[in-house]
Amino acid sequence: MLEHLQIQPIAPTRTVVVGSGGFVGGAILRELTARAMPAVGLTRQEADLLAPGGGEALARHLKPGDSVVFVSAIAPAKNVAQLMDNLRMAEAACQAFAAVMPGHLVYISSDAIYADDANPVTESSSAAPTTTHGMMHAARELMFKTAVTCPFAALRPTLIYGARDPHSGYGPNRFRRQAAKGEAISIFGEGEERRDHVLVDDVARLAALILLHKSRGALNAVTGVSTSFRDIADMVAAQFPGGKVASTPRPGPRPHLLHRFFDITGCLKAFPDFRYVRIADGIADVHKQTMGQS
Amino acid sequence: MSQPRIAYVGMTHLGICSAIAAASKGFETICFDPDAARIKALDAGNLPVVEPDLDELLRNNRSRISFTADVAALSKADVIYVAPDVPTDDAGGSDLAPIKSLLALIEPALAKDSVTVILSQVPPGFSRVHAFPARPFYYQVETLVFGRAVERATLPERFIIGCADPKAPLPQPFKTFLAAFGCPLLPMRYESAELAKISINCCLVASVTVANTLAELCEHIGAEWTEIAPALKLDKRIGAFSYLTAGLGLSGGNLERDLATVENFARDHGSDASLIEAFIHNSKHRKDWPLRTLHQALLDDKPDAVIGVLGLAYKENTHSTKNSPSLALLRHLHPWAVRLFDPVVPATAAEHPRSTACASALDVAKGVDALVIMTPWPAFRDLAAGDIKAAMRGRLVIDPYRMLDGAALTKTGLTHITLGAGAPRA
Repeated sequence: MLEHLQIQPIAPTRTVVVGSGGFVGGAILRELTARAMPAVGLTRQEADLLAPGGGEALARHLKPGDSVVFVSAIAPAKNVAQLMDNLRMAEAACQAFAAVMPGHLVYISSDAIYADDANPVTESSSAAPTTTHGMMHAARELMFKTAVTCPFAALRPTLIYGARDPHSGYGPNRFRRQAAKGEAISIFGEGEERRDHVLVDDVARLAALILLHKSRGALNAVTGVSTSFRDIADMVAAQFPGGKVASTPRPGPRPHLLHRFFDITGCLKAFPDFRYVRIADGIADVHKQTMGQS
Repeated sequence: MSQPRIAYVGMTHLGICSAIAAASKGFETICFDPDAARIKALDAGNLPVVEPDLDELLRNNRSRISFTADVAALSKADVIYVAPDVPTDDAGGSDLAPIKSLLALIEPALAKDSVTVILSQVPPGFSRVHAFPARPFYYQVETLVFGRAVERATLPERFIIGCADPKAPLPQPFKTFLAAFGCPLLPMRYESAELAKISINCCLVASVTVANTLAELCEHIGAEWTEIAPALKLDKRIGAFSYLTAGLGLSGGNLERDLATVENFARDHGSDASLIEAFIHNSKHRKDWPLRTLHQALLDDKPDAVIGVLGLAYKENTHSTKNSPSLALLRHLHPWAVRLFDPVVPATAAEHPRSTACASALDVAKGVDALVIMTPWPAFRDLAAGDIKAAMRGRLVIDPYRMLDGAALTKTGLTHITLGAGAPRA
């Protein structure tokens, strides 16, 4: 759950987005800019957190009392080496924060920190990651929470989609690319697994609200609506003339976690006015954006 | 021996209701509280609690009841019940300081052979530690139910008596008083009695949690909990009076306090309390049902909605708002205009920045997009579907406790959403 230290929204004097070159960090920087909230983006060019002196490099870009959104990550962390690299990046950031303490730290975490069998998931569900990616985020949350004396918030998005997503994991982004190439969208089995997908713009809007309210605690960035991959594939296919969906054999056994649901009461309480973009609308919006880009 | 004189110490809900019930059995009853203003109000007949039939019972037995703020008056009593309500915090923790200070205050004033009985709910171990040395001292389980306090106090199912030595006979004045209620007596050691009270409430919570868990499932799979619950009640292992009505989680503070006590003791002693944690988790989850339902059915698509809320008390027939689902809902509806009415609790209790206090239940419905019935006050059943339809701007009626005729509402074009009912599957 989030606790707002500012009941009325007040824009921070300055927000530094660490990792603004990425898909999520870029969306957050654009959202802050659109809201006329003073913001600076840092990419690996300004502060390479894996390079020697990465912490000092980051500290040079910080001013005491800055609000910081930390997004930078090698994601997904698929193996031990990537897990350790991510932790080293967080270690460097902690060194930077020790040298120049922010006024508010927001960490973009992940719903992967929760146990697979936590259903429905809430912010108070136990952190029991079963993947190196989930463990990375859980460990980083703890590192940051321990390292800073300022208010700390963890925003935990579920599966994110959006027009600029460079990843091609199983879901809306891959489906769109397949359809755009004129291929049939391939789903595993009947695509019956139901998952929650959140539009990257919603993650960015939530990050902005957390900054405006100087919130601390945790919030899941999830819509509360779980949709089957089959239905998502159909929604994407409908955007393309002649779009098709084809069932393909699963690469392995049917997943243990067939469905995952979230209880979004925490968000309804923290930000009563906030509305998630429904997945059908989000997919249509992404389609318009990508068609505009091409 | 002549009829014993009974005294009650602590004039809050439990003490007031119990004292009036004692007088109704024909006993001279002394009501003591150190708060002179409270005593003055009671003496004038102004009860600070709302309970069905309580005012009438007081009027009918007024001649046997004396109210006093003078502790010396307790010297005339044969049996002294120490019965202040034990305050609880939001996490269910008990504040035992008031009862401890009352015990310290009264001890020097009591007659030598008088019997002292703790009636307030205290955690296991409290009575043995705080028993007056060399005096008869007991703990008696109270089973007050808000909204049914008179019935529970005058017609108890049994008396559970915590004793220093359960094999020793009860003192005659105490025995005489208890016998007037004509129910079984169960003497047991202090700790057993203190835990018996908690055990009763844990069983109630278990039933409530079963009902709430399965009612939620009904909402998803097209089943109807009100069809299922009667079948369970006919099972002798479950029982006709079991708490199987779907609701909005635990409220009122007493059940929550007992769950917190078990959790704390389990933590201290290393016993497993995961079941209790599940009860608490489910209660919190169901308490938010109206908020989730409102968002899903209306607010996500209508940001300028006006919402009518009927009921602010945590349950019907009480003025108490402790852990009230209604106030919990209203805390998260600040962006929206709300219209409020409760037969007893003033609208100001909601502390809502955009609230309108309404004069009647039907007045609440005027111009609202959604009508939410958050407390099952019997009077709300009198609202006619046609009148509601005519008064409302929108068509959503959220009625967790089924106060209204859902079929009649639906016939008028209103949408009726209630607990434990799913739309039948095609």
